[in-house]
Amino acid sequence: MNDSSAVTVRSLTKRYGGVVAVEDLTFALDTGTVAGFVGPNGAGKSTTLRVLLGLAEPTSGEALVFGRRYRDLDDPVRRVGAVLESNDFHPARSGRNHLRALALAAEIPYRRVEEVLQLVELADAADRRVKTYSLGMRQRLGLAVALLGDPELLILDEPANGLDPTGVHWLRRFIRGFADRGGTVLVSSHVLAELAQLIDQVLIIDHGRLLAATRLDELTERGQTLEDAYLELTKEGS
Amino acid sequence: MTAALRSELLKQRSTSTTLGLFATLLGLVLLAELLHGFGLPVGNLQTAAQQLNILQPGELIGTLLAALLGAMSITGEIRHGTIRPTLLVSPHRGCVLTAKIWASMLAGAGFGLTAAIVAIAVSVAALRARGIAVHLATRDYLLAPLGGAAAAALWAAIGVGVGAVVRNQVATLVGLCAWLLFVEKLIFGDLARLNIGRYLPGTAAAAISGQRPEMRLLAPWTALLLLAAYTAAAAAAGWLQTNRRDAA
Repeated sequence: MNDSSAVTVRSLTKRYGGVVAVEDLTFALDTGTVAGFVGPNGAGKSTTLRVLLGLAEPTSGEALVFGRRYRDLDDPVRRVGAVLESNDFHPARSGRNHLRALALAAEIPYRRVEEVLQLVELADAADRRVKTYSLGMRQRLGLAVALLGDPELLILDEPANGLDPTGVHWLRRFIRGFADRGGTVLVSSHVLAELAQLIDQVLIIDHGRLLAATRLDELTERGQTLEDAYLELTKEGS
Repeated sequence: MTAALRSELLKQRSTSTTLGLFATLLGLVLLAELLHGFGLPVGNLQTAAQQLNILQPGELIGTLLAALLGAMSITGEIRHGTIRPTLLVSPHRGCVLTAKIWASMLAGAGFGLTAAIVAIAVSVAALRARGIAVHLATRDYLLAPLGGAAAAALWAAIGVGVGAVVRNQVATLVGLCAWLLFVEKLIFGDLARLNIGRYLPGTAAAAISGQRPEMRLLAPWTALLLLAAYTAAAAAAGWLQTNRRDAA
């Protein structure tokens, strides 16, 4: 864990009442890597991402982006972009106005709103109310929000959920393009075969604990696929 | 802060919610004032106090819908999940809440002003149409719209504070309606002789514009200060809860 870490999680524990969501979780993510965050439902992935983004408070430990708490970043939107849920929109607001309201708050010019709309291929639907959008369009609008500040780090929670094959293909191209331009990505997913095509590093968690943090090529050198490793580890863990 | 406020103002006008509340306000004030102005017997509309009284539904409707507007600005974000992107863009929650309060107060003032002006216009027209001499003074013509605007603006802020504490949209809206329409009336009705009712926030709101003079209300300035204190308390409670709780 050094200064080049985009994400630093140290001894993070998060409890909701008596339920432990994340327990003593420690990992770091170097800038420029694409990391997959995998684990069964309820393993603590979303909770970790929420704490990392300052939406939830850790019970103990810390979760930092670029060495600081998210809310202590000088200009968080220009450093970190995130998509946590596929439907965080007001159904009666247009896609363009959703982006504009957030752009105003971040003091980002409307010009950038048009750029991200082009980037996620939503320009033609931008004036329609979000309730008329398909799931794939909503996922892309979420990504457009994440890209508003042209961030260095993307945090995506299940971005492929509910996407059709064309959408998945589009997302893969998109994440690759972002990484090729030097961006760092932390992406959670259940679609392991898909994920394996994207990531250089994998974090496997279960029951709120880290089971493995390894480079993907180390797995393949051992003759394992990501799915093999996942099944083996999560079976032991349960 | 200015950036967050501009964002809130765009949110306010980019769905049909605000317009829908405003249309409801117009419809309700028109209906209530027409019913009062034309429906009450002539004997109940003779004195200045009686004529002031028929402006009361206008004030109450303006205040209530402003409170709902304020409450929806925060509970709507929680309900639709937009609170997540909102807080990612503006991680300082106090700043987001303050922006919501200012934006709601601005729209709330407009609601209160409109409700009072419509109430006066309809009432005076009704009185004239029935050949009843109008006894409202210049002070009444000024105090009703200004007091109505102030009361509605402050209640819009109270709505934001209550919404931030309760978080559930339906519970917040029902709670605000119940408080302003029933709870205070019941408490006021029973406790008027003990002078407790006039210190309640809804009744203080009515007192700012000199409504319901038969009820031994507080003086307008005193009522304004008292309601401002309630508003500060609601905002502080909202601020505490917003900072203490996980957002998502």
